[in-house]
Amino acid sequence: MRSLLRACALLCSLGGLAWLALAMEVHWHQVRGGRASLAPHKARLLRVMGALALSGSLVLCLRADHASMAVLVWVMSLAVSSVGVAFALAWRPRSLSWLVGWVR
Amino acid sequence: MAWLHTWFGLVLGYVLIVVFFFGSLSVFDREIDRWALPETRFAPQPMPSFDRMLSPIFKQMKPEPAELEAARARVGGSLPAELAVMNWAVYTTHRDPVLAMYAEFAVPNNPNDPDDHVHGHVTIDPRNGRLLGDDQLKVGSEFFYPMHISLHVTWKDLGYWIVGLAALAMLAALVSGLVIHRRIFREFFTLRPRKHVQRSTLDLHNLTGVVALPFHFFFALTGLTIFAGIYLPVSETMLKPQAQAAAVHEAKAKGLPFKPAGVAAPLASVDAMVLEAKRRWAARGMAGEVGYLYVNHVGDRNSYVSLYRAGSDRVTLVGQPIHFEGTTGRVLYEEPPSSAVASVNDFLTGLHLQHFEHWLLRWFYVFGGLTGCVCIATGFIFFVEKRKRQHAQAGVSGARWVDAFAVTSVTGMLIATLAMLIANRVLPIELAQRGDWQKASFWGVWLLTFAHAAARGAMPRMTRLSPAWREQCLAVAALAPAAVILNWVTTGDHLLKTLAEGYWPVAGLDLALLAVGSIAAGAAVRLRRGERAVAAPAASLDEAAAAGAGTADREAARA
Repeated sequence: MRSLLRACALLCSLGGLAWLALAMEVHWHQVRGGRASLAPHKARLLRVMGALALSGSLVLCLRADHASMAVLVWVMSLAVSSVGVAFALAWRPRSLSWLVGWVR
Repeated sequence: MAWLHTWFGLVLGYVLIVVFFFGSLSVFDREIDRWALPETRFAPQPMPSFDRMLSPIFKQMKPEPAELEAARARVGGSLPAELAVMNWAVYTTHRDPVLAMYAEFAVPNNPNDPDDHVHGHVTIDPRNGRLLGDDQLKVGSEFFYPMHISLHVTWKDLGYWIVGLAALAMLAALVSGLVIHRRIFREFFTLRPRKHVQRSTLDLHNLTGVVALPFHFFFALTGLTIFAGIYLPVSETMLKPQAQAAAVHEAKAKGLPFKPAGVAAPLASVDAMVLEAKRRWAARGMAGEVGYLYVNHVGDRNSYVSLYRAGSDRVTLVGQPIHFEGTTGRVLYEEPPSSAVASVNDFLTGLHLQHFEHWLLRWFYVFGGLTGCVCIATGFIFFVEKRKRQHAQAGVSGARWVDAFAVTSVTGMLIATLAMLIANRVLPIELAQRGDWQKASFWGVWLLTFAHAAARGAMPRMTRLSPAWREQCLAVAALAPAAVILNWVTTGDHLLKTLAEGYWPVAGLDLALLAVGSIAAGAAVRLRRGERAVAAPAASLDEAAAAGAGTADREAARA
């Protein structure tokens, strides 16, 4: 059960950071290709979703562990996820496209 | 700022990368011990019975011969045949199958130090009380871990000071790095591997430096606070009388005898005290096992027993101590929850020393440590890439030497570590001083990798990376799987078996070795491709690189 919560927390921080990255013009282009431009209100929406996912990740961490430990797990999961997102953007940008498939 | 970052980073970077790498290994020091000592490959054990098992072993413990020798010199010649025991201690965690036992013996008649003492220690198999050989080197906790905290430089504790200085430089490098980088958020996820070496190296340097910033910052900081007592030993120098008075006062407030009474008295059942401590912890809503057991003033009427709870479910190391009167087993003092300041200190110490049970967080720590290594290594490469052309033209060998040291401290350090693991598996069991031979193979091979890096770095124009990088990557790619195979051949514990049994200490290290081997092989292939590309149209590429480097140079000029 705790492992499941931790796994979900890690997935949430990965998704959240990916949305935060995609709210930036340059990474949006990497994932969508070409000239598909990102409207400011959509960028704002992505940023809000990213923040929500990261908060969700923190809540899941707190459910899984004693608060003192949960904070460490959360901070480190952000670090791991950031590298994950950066590597995905560098080598397999299209692999993130499903996260924003619904944005027209 | 840029000057500070470049030069402090370069000089102390060589120390820092060692500290980061061996710190990452120390996260799994107990597991590396299991790999290196096959007879200790069994499940972690709870604290055994003190009365039946530990007490008889403690009574037979002797001081370390080397320490006795040194003590004899301090008191000017003669010591009694039997030194009086001062205290006993045992410490175990949820990861320890074997149990380490410690004793301190009083050294009488030292005019300069009335509290002079020597130590003794043994390691036992807690299932049957059998002693483990003294000459068995615990590669993880007795070699890699001391490397992390003091570089094995024991002379005048210099190693601790060098590591502390490096930790300070780390804090300075982090802050100055942020100032230089500036576009922290805009380029947070930026990594451009297809751009030229200087650009992609700087991207990776920034990425690893920024994302793991909280980890690097807190670990450098807590590393310093843990050893604050070594760096600022005020309680043993300037403030010694005050510190002594505070210790006496604290003992008195808790009802703990500060000095022995000088009257012999037997010890009551410690097992009964353990039961009582566990009952009291459970009553406080934090049931747990004993992590640390300490008997002070052994055999004296004033003896007392302190029991600390193992902190496997908290960040804080051990805690909630309960003190018992040794002769009666009566509770002398149950420590209340610690104050806010003490809790913060305990949290920071526990955060770094991590004795908790949380495998995911452990791997996250390894990740944090290795991102530190990548950050430092890319810093070296960037330094060399930026200067090699000018240095080659000016006929200076600076960049070449930096590169040789970088090869030695990145791939060379890996090769030396692998050589030590291999030596651990191939040296005959009955070899005298087997542990020393393992250490010698580590240092010897590391020296060889430096000789290799220095010899291969002597290129006339420095147009490409030193071939030593690729050759040492190949060595890593060969040695890492060799260690896995040797573990299989010498112990029969191959991966399929350890994985099927779920014996992670050995399976985990084997898998990590295979991963390291494949990454090194991949790096060697890519470096080879790079060398070929440069070798073919060297001249035209030089121009292209110079043109492409223009944009990065402008930014790099600041760094």
